[in-house]
Amino acid sequence: MKASKYVLTFLIAFLTIHARSFAQNVPYVRLLHADGEPQNWLMYGGNFQSQRFSRLKQINRENVHTLRPVWIYQPPKPGMDEASPVVVDGIMYITETPSTVTALDARYGTRIWSWSPVLPEHVYTIGLHPTNRGVAILDSTVYVGTIDAHLVALDAKTGAVKWSVLVADNKRNYAIASAPRVINGKVIIGIGGGEAGVKGFLDAYDAKTGARLWRLWTIPNPGEPGSETWGPDMTGTGGATTWVTGSYDPDLNLLYWGTGNPAPDWNGKGRPGDNLYSCSLLAIDPDVGKMKWYFQYTPHDTHDWDSSQVPVLFDDNVNGKPRKLVAMANRNGFYYVLDRVTGEFLAGMPYVKQTWAKGLDAKGHPIMLENTEPSAAGQLIYPSVMGGTDWSSPSYSPETKLFYVTAHEMGAYFKEGQPKLDFSGPPNFGGGGQSALSGDDAYGAIRALDSLTGKLKWEYRLVAPAWVSTFSTAGGLVFSGSDEGNFFALDASTGKLLWQFRIDGANVRTNPITYAVDGKQYVIGIAGNDFVGFALP
Amino acid sequence: MSAIRSCLIVALVFALGSLARNTLPASQDPQRRPGTQSAAPPIVGDPDKGRDLFQANCSGCHGIDAGGGDGPDIQQAPASLGDATVANIIRRGVPDTPMVGFFSIGDAGAADIVAYIRKLGSTMSSETTKGDPRKGEEIYNSSGCPACHMIAGQGGEIGPELTSIGAKRGPSNLHQRLIDPGVNLPKEGNVGDRGKWTLYLLYRAVTNDGHVTEGIRMGEDSFSIVLKDVNGNFHALYKPNLRSLEKEPLKSLMPSFKDTLSSAEMDDLVAYLVSLKGATP
Repeated sequence: MKASKYVLTFLIAFLTIHARSFAQNVPYVRLLHADGEPQNWLMYGGNFQSQRFSRLKQINRENVHTLRPVWIYQPPKPGMDEASPVVVDGIMYITETPSTVTALDARYGTRIWSWSPVLPEHVYTIGLHPTNRGVAILDSTVYVGTIDAHLVALDAKTGAVKWSVLVADNKRNYAIASAPRVINGKVIIGIGGGEAGVKGFLDAYDAKTGARLWRLWTIPNPGEPGSETWGPDMTGTGGATTWVTGSYDPDLNLLYWGTGNPAPDWNGKGRPGDNLYSCSLLAIDPDVGKMKWYFQYTPHDTHDWDSSQVPVLFDDNVNGKPRKLVAMANRNGFYYVLDRVTGEFLAGMPYVKQTWAKGLDAKGHPIMLENTEPSAAGQLIYPSVMGGTDWSSPSYSPETKLFYVTAHEMGAYFKEGQPKLDFSGPPNFGGGGQSALSGDDAYGAIRALDSLTGKLKWEYRLVAPAWVSTFSTAGGLVFSGSDEGNFFALDASTGKLLWQFRIDGANVRTNPITYAVDGKQYVIGIAGNDFVGFALP
Repeated sequence: MSAIRSCLIVALVFALGSLARNTLPASQDPQRRPGTQSAAPPIVGDPDKGRDLFQANCSGCHGIDAGGGDGPDIQQAPASLGDATVANIIRRGVPDTPMVGFFSIGDAGAADIVAYIRKLGSTMSSETTKGDPRKGEEIYNSSGCPACHMIAGQGGEIGPELTSIGAKRGPSNLHQRLIDPGVNLPKEGNVGDRGKWTLYLLYRAVTNDGHVTEGIRMGEDSFSIVLKDVNGNFHALYKPNLRSLEKEPLKSLMPSFKDTLSSAEMDDLVAYLVSLKGATP
């Protein structure tokens, strides 16, 4: 055991050195042991567990107040960037709106190459922002999903296209904004388009050839098991998309992926029942693309509370027994802890104000309150359509055992309307909408939750609900941003503000990360479409 | 038809014109005139259903009687512009104004709202005829208003600019603000996700060394706030350096005119303010 660990460490060290001299080679073994090379940020979520925790500590509680910008990269095209950079051996891969991939020198922000797809004149992006949340890398290939629903493999050194496959038909409102998840030899990609009522799925492609290996539909066809949860008029469509990158446990060989809302969003009358497998967490065997278990957070959702939040994997003792866990701060306002082997519900509680459920029962199902459905005149419910949190990633620190999440304290008047696909105005299959309480009637916070229970440990209040991810570090820090354009660092144990910097007037709405090059730690913050590298003097 | 109403109609027609240019899909003729959207027979709305929808969606800005609030008086809009045009504005909004589109209300819902506004317009007498705007202008000048408010480039810069206040607020709303200036402060238009922020909100800030600043919020983020005090001076404050920062929701830097103006003088002043339709950019 000890010897094999030594060999493994040696192997990683060798591969890392090897990779530095023959840049941009990331074999799967490096991804498996991403935590062993904290100078890199090798994938969406930082590691397969999506913990967004960095072992770097050059920047720490004592010196973070001296952090200052060292470079700014602004893509030539304006847009609201939501990317999570990937950093490999001094090279940073970012995406720019809507589907451009750019490689930068991570020390100076110098552009090395850029690739953009040739997009059709009209791209359908119903209910989603025409943006991209990042790339994946394996061996010497960078993978990206495009807004017109293609999956493209690019050469990591040049940006040359190795292969490109059509994932789904954008004219039928399928689109991709999420980063792919790469596991051994496979590229897993999710899809968006739930507000147009598409049939959701998750796909796996051969990393070398682009051949599709499997497709897992998230909605059963009429007559299949689960179809009874949609009522007699079910057509086999109705959302349940897979638009945020999931996590992976290599030991259990299980993928964990959240699914989106059922459609039409706010009018559930035509779909009586739980609407499987919408608003759920799916545990998937990636060898065959079959579901091993599922857990539905919000049965029969009528508030657009996708469960497209990042499932975070960690291990801890529960009642004195070591357990493998998966936690999610859900858009519906509750924090959930499940056993990730079986899907068993272990704990859950609200982490923001919510007015739709009395609580969760012993199995984690919500105990519904009366009069919480959208109505013609508008029904005030917390949280709003934007949820307790949304797609932005939380982080988990194995040192503090806290779960850091961006929280929205915001209600909305939910309105029911008639669902129809109508392209004569703003397209809407939603069957309603919301008037959110905003401005001074809402606020945001970075909250630190006890990862085993969801109990609030501390919060740092923000003027407005923010849509930005967090990351935590071994330097005792949590970084995040505000909707007003500030980027800041808090003490991971107490929530005390240690440093802040106003990047620009646009929202910070992305996934900040940290990395190191030549022994110097950097932090990247992004507001609007400004990518700003920060370092100590 | 009063001059005021003509101005309103011109403004709405102009707004609709820009709406047609900016937002109608290519499949529709952009040159088509307002009120001739479709050859199909217009949907006949139900004013009783429209009342609920109006109160839930429209009254917050346009007043419970459609006589104006933070948004303009729209009681006569269906009679002047035609039902189809108003329904179109309801569903699509007016670009570059706080009037957002209520697309999810649907064609039938919009028709119901129009029917309700038409009913209000036919039964309500307009409030704007009560006072004398010329007398109101004298009262405005003699009551000290120009010290804080600007009209057409003349006046102070502490309170809101009033050059086109009559196009933005209804008479009952203005009357209420003269009596209780700190109540129901207006909110700015819905700018994307960033929400409707309360304007002219008064704050009291105390720094760690005990210095007190009171003023209206001009700008704020999670770490700093800029207040404008009663003398018009800006104070930029860093929140981590503050001992306390409290909203004073019912207070205002503006005095109440409840006891200083007679009821007739108040009507005259309101009539003057309503007449300010000034050039909007």
